[in-house]
Amino acid sequence: MSPYYYRSVWEGARVRKEYVGTGALGEVAAALDELKRRQREEEAGYWREERERLQRSAAFLQELEEAAQILTRAQLLVSGFHKRKGEWRRIRESA
Amino acid sequence: MKALELSKEAKDQLAELEDLSDKAANGHKQARSELRRALRVSSPAVVAEASTLAKKGECVLIKTAAAGEPLMEEALLARLGLLRSEIAGPDPSPLELLLTEKIVAVWMLTELLELLLNAQLGDLPKSQRMSHRFLKFYLGWQEQAHRRLLSAIRELARVRRLESRIPNAQTNVQINVSKPDGD
Repeated sequence: MSPYYYRSVWEGARVRKEYVGTGALGEVAAALDELKRRQREEEAGYWREERERLQRSAAFLQELEEAAQILTRAQLLVSGFHKRKGEWRRIRESA
Repeated sequence: MKALELSKEAKDQLAELEDLSDKAANGHKQARSELRRALRVSSPAVVAEASTLAKKGECVLIKTAAAGEPLMEEALLARLGLLRSEIAGPDPSPLELLLTEKIVAVWMLTELLELLLNAQLGDLPKSQRMSHRFLKFYLGWQEQAHRRLLSAIRELARVRRLESRIPNAQTNVQINVSKPDGD
């Protein structure tokens, strides 16, 4: 008996099975779908790698920002400032 | 590629500064003087290391942006050098230097993202075009980079303003208009 080939089609949030054919037609359709699926996977893999490469290239910024933030805060505190309601203000010297 | 990061020693020093800052911010007078001492001891080394890290990171971003074109690489390096000296000014403090490095590094990232996006807007074959998913991530990242750049510039301006003891640039003008006679 020749195998039947059904294609899965997304319809909104649901998957619907669509009858394509049987015999040689079904096999060709299945092979084409498989090829497209692999191409999509390869493409997704390429962009995933590209994204990771970019993120790795810019990862040093996080370190730099943290260091700058800690040093800025420390410097302002020892220079006589304090943070009040999100704003840096000079500490008033008592008379 | 080996991850660019600060040494363990620098991270420990930063953790100590953060801890002392927390205590000083909570009103511990002893912590404030300890913080001053710790900052004097560790700040130059941490700033120097962070600046070196920034320069190495910028080189990585430049290489990605230049995509193997030596002329472009040189031009970007020169542009960063110019930007650095313009922002840092004639006699920058170590902290100003560090904040300048931060601005320059984030600027380079925004430039890189701009360049890569512009390349996508050209006539590229379908196989080289970004997927919609990647484009969405990319635009989000670009927006975040712009925010980081603005915040870095603001931070440097704030430090300069506070350290130079100049009050907020706010002027209140009051105009009294007298009523004409007879009214």
